[in-house]
Amino acid sequence: MTLATPDKETMDILLDLGGEKLKICYQCGTCTGTCPWNLVRDFNVRKIVHQAQLGLVDFEDEDIWTCATCGACVKRCPRGGETIDVMKAIRKVVSEMGAGKVPDSLRISIKNIASLGNPQGEAPEKRADWAQGRDVKTFTPQTEWLYFPCCIPAYDSKVKRMALATVDILGKMGIDFGILGEKEKCCGESVRKAGGEETFQSLANTNIQTFTESGVKKVLVSSPHCYHTFKNEYPELGAEFEVVHTTQLWAQLLEEKKLNFSREIKKKVVYHDPCYLGRHNDIYDEPRRVLEAIPGLELVEFEDSKQNAICCGGGGGRIWMDTPKGERLCDWRLEQAVELGADILAVACPYCMLNFDDSVLTLGKEDVIDIKDVSELVLEAI
Amino acid sequence: MDKKLGVYICGGCSIGDSLDLDKLSEVATKEYKVEICKTHPFLCGKEGAQLIAKDIEDGVNTVVIAACSPRAQQEIFSYDPGVVLERVNLREHVVWSHTPQDEDTQMLAEDYLRMGIAKAQKVLPAEPYQETIDKTILVVGGGISGMTSALEAAKAGYEVCLVEKSPSLGGWMSKLYKQYPKHPPYQQLEDTGIEAKIKEVEGNPRIKVFTGAEIEKTTGAPGMFDVLVRQNGSQTSLRIGSIIQATGFRPYEANKLDHLGFGKYPDVITNFQMEELARQGKIKRPSDGKEVESVAFIQCAGQRDENHLPYCSSFCCLTSLKQALYVTEQNTDASVYVVYKDIRTPAQYEDFYKRVQEEQAVFFTKGEVQGISEGGGCLTVEVEDTLLGEKIGINADLVVLAVGIVPNSMPEEAKKATAEAESSEEKCEGAAERAPDSGFYAAPALQLKYRQGPELPTLKYGFPDSHFICFPYETRRTGIYSTGCVRQPEDSATSIDDATGAALKAIQCVEQSSKGMALHPRAWDQTYPDLFMQRCTQCKRCTEECPFGMYDEDEKFNPLPNPTRCRRCAICMGSCPERIISFKDYSVDIISSMLKAVEVPEEDEEKPRVIAFLCENDAYPALDVAGINRLTYNPYVRVIPVRCLGSMNIVWIADSLSKGIDGILMIGCNYGDDYQCHFIKGSELANYRMEKVQETLQRLVLESERIEVWQLSISEYDKLPKIFDDFLETIERVGPNPYKDF
Repeated sequence: MTLATPDKETMDILLDLGGEKLKICYQCGTCTGTCPWNLVRDFNVRKIVHQAQLGLVDFEDEDIWTCATCGACVKRCPRGGETIDVMKAIRKVVSEMGAGKVPDSLRISIKNIASLGNPQGEAPEKRADWAQGRDVKTFTPQTEWLYFPCCIPAYDSKVKRMALATVDILGKMGIDFGILGEKEKCCGESVRKAGGEETFQSLANTNIQTFTESGVKKVLVSSPHCYHTFKNEYPELGAEFEVVHTTQLWAQLLEEKKLNFSREIKKKVVYHDPCYLGRHNDIYDEPRRVLEAIPGLELVEFEDSKQNAICCGGGGGRIWMDTPKGERLCDWRLEQAVELGADILAVACPYCMLNFDDSVLTLGKEDVIDIKDVSELVLEAI
Repeated sequence: MDKKLGVYICGGCSIGDSLDLDKLSEVATKEYKVEICKTHPFLCGKEGAQLIAKDIEDGVNTVVIAACSPRAQQEIFSYDPGVVLERVNLREHVVWSHTPQDEDTQMLAEDYLRMGIAKAQKVLPAEPYQETIDKTILVVGGGISGMTSALEAAKAGYEVCLVEKSPSLGGWMSKLYKQYPKHPPYQQLEDTGIEAKIKEVEGNPRIKVFTGAEIEKTTGAPGMFDVLVRQNGSQTSLRIGSIIQATGFRPYEANKLDHLGFGKYPDVITNFQMEELARQGKIKRPSDGKEVESVAFIQCAGQRDENHLPYCSSFCCLTSLKQALYVTEQNTDASVYVVYKDIRTPAQYEDFYKRVQEEQAVFFTKGEVQGISEGGGCLTVEVEDTLLGEKIGINADLVVLAVGIVPNSMPEEAKKATAEAESSEEKCEGAAERAPDSGFYAAPALQLKYRQGPELPTLKYGFPDSHFICFPYETRRTGIYSTGCVRQPEDSATSIDDATGAALKAIQCVEQSSKGMALHPRAWDQTYPDLFMQRCTQCKRCTEECPFGMYDEDEKFNPLPNPTRCRRCAICMGSCPERIISFKDYSVDIISSMLKAVEVPEEDEEKPRVIAFLCENDAYPALDVAGINRLTYNPYVRVIPVRCLGSMNIVWIADSLSKGIDGILMIGCNYGDDYQCHFIKGSELANYRMEKVQETLQRLVLESERIEVWQLSISEYDKLPKIFDDFLETIERVGPNPYKDF
């Protein structure tokens, strides 16, 4: 029997591809113990990291695509290990060096993004269709805000309620904003996490060029994923614009007393922290401040909230991959919300909304709980 | 000595509210005819203290203070050595733990006062044992530990003799190429700095260095050891105060690790051999001189393995991390693999571990090495139970076994410390065979001419410790301290701290001895055993049972005491069937008098009486803590503190029972593998001796349930009330002592 032998070359490649921190892992297993996937299925994070340390990664194994990059393990790693970077490096070896096989649904989504600028494979010229019937203008250099809705609200017939609520509020508040429509492309955040580094670079450069040419100074986003990459990754590629998430803007307007609520929402609401707003960007308070300010609204907390929030399972490219029923984190989380007796599960991320909408349907909870973006609730209360 | 007693009863801390102090005073004035008996509401206050001081000035030489626990207010109630002091514990043991204004509580207090007065009448002032004490400190072993102890003692102003077996000082440290970082930020390898230390020792005028020297003979006792040193065929006689044994370690024999290919493949070497290779320049394969491109380190090569060394050797992980850098610093393309059970890099050394982890060419994997084979021009290490869940194979030019250390005290073949003749021939091979209390003497180093044997008795795994947790550095021989790797596996940084501690202990020893005072844990004690030799039957129990080897023996087996070796535990007093061993303040007669002072009510009063002998070190203070926490228990128990349960003389049991006492409790420290006895084996001996008490009980036609022996640690104070109450229930069931009405 030939034994697996540590492969320095593979390990070196992973280091080069961004997994520098994999060296410092001392195999304590805190990541595996932390990983929310283990609530619904087995997923041994520690083992994958160790495989990477020895250059013995099984690139054919589907598990290398499992990590939703929620960052829970990164927060708790006693060594400061960047598990997400390790996963990203492994995926890059597959998608860019052809070591294994990219799962079909992911491959198609990335292909769509690369060719059409959106994962759904929709026509770019339809990108502004969601705003039909609303008074939404096209962004010009004189416009104050660019509203960047994210591909999912832009094309998904249900999730577009998130974008609609946002522009309705902006309209009511008299805020000067515009959209770029077919000129904008997917932000590329999840593409990068899924190992599509080249595609990401191309998307980011195109977006940066478009924004620059259009004279964009301030971007309002609905998606924490867009927020994350615009704020933390685009600047390395030369971007120079301010990024604000909708919940942040609502909180600011509230503080400035420009936003006032006049209608009651007598509901019990539980807020689900999106990983990329919370753990990745430490924005925990603004959405809560907004919800708490709504008259009549009773805000309750998950047992695992803020830094410890459980991922919906949609990050890291998982949103484009199939997760078998029984292994869906969004189902687990929705059950948790129902157990709390919440009437509404408030979200602040299109991925979360897409996932939870699906959970409500598949679990038959339509009569029990509603999924609403924080912006929807704001609009209702104005 | 003409006794002039003064009895002082305090009414403070709720004593006065709970007891009838006038009635209590009558115990002293009427029963014992004590002329001076005073009560004061606040005895530890200025006025109270002056009251006693004035009486002492006027001639009172024996003071009985009935107030708080003897463990409280010691500074206030402290008098000249000529004044006998006895404390009666009315606060913790009476009023804080029993019903106030109650008949039984009053009876308890009265009994304690009787016992205190009875004792005080017999106690004589201590006359310290004082001889001419030499304060020179002998350090045996000239490695990093021995040199540190020598320097620290010299810096404190003491003369030091340092004896080293090999021709030069430095020990293992001088064999190292580099040492792992000992300073922040714990990133870079450092020079050992041992040469500077050697120079410092050699240049210190207080330190006399003997290299290439061995100890031929050690006689005497702390403050007056006579040590014969042999060097280059000549002998030097030294007068020594106390001794530090820093004889270090030897690497575990890699030959025993044949499953790891040592001895079979020339390219399998030990971590110690790796240092030699590194000192020679480029690290090359022993087999063909090829410069190494890949090296596998196998951690715990024998350590934490029941068949080899059951313990962690403390520095092998860090040593391999250091040696990994030897390899990568020599050749940046080289690969290093570290196979470990657990990487143990305590405290800030974690930063160094992290730094080596970050080294691109160093791979770490947890696993068990299944075997090593040769082929294709290299060695292959087969590792199973890895965290990958599968076996892996590591190809390497060189395999380094990170072997552990064995204390040089580890006896290869030696006499057992106990006198059991049949076991003295027993051979001892691996460390793993050592029981926790091995009963074996250390390998030759000090050549003690002691009745109990030639070297320090060893404990677990051959380390010559006496009480690992409570009394570091102490051994079972008073005035002889162990430090460095002969005491426990430790690296040079820890050894330096450790050796400084041992130097302090050695200094304490000579200073205390010069004042005629005992050492830890009875450091204030100036009494020592006095033997009434006319009645000695040469039974040898005292000479064999003393845990510290205090007694030597003459040719007729008469015990020859060495008072400066004595720790004042009085275990010899407990052992003596002729009851000839006494201390000025602690003797068979004194405790018997206390027992006899207890008033035993008649049977129809239905007030049973129990005597509880409590060890002063744990059980007695635990009962204080029970009182402080206001835990309550029945008022029928009378407590007598003993220095150690091992000092219990069986005659006290007989005295108690014949007086009509219904039951006897004995509460000592835990014994066994993790013993907590401050005198090593006192509580164990007491338990053993009590088995023999059964005979006494049978002779008296009494039930064996009347005696219970308990082990208790100081933190278990909350168990005491239940022990007392349950025992009283047992006594109730068994019925009153039939001797009561005689």
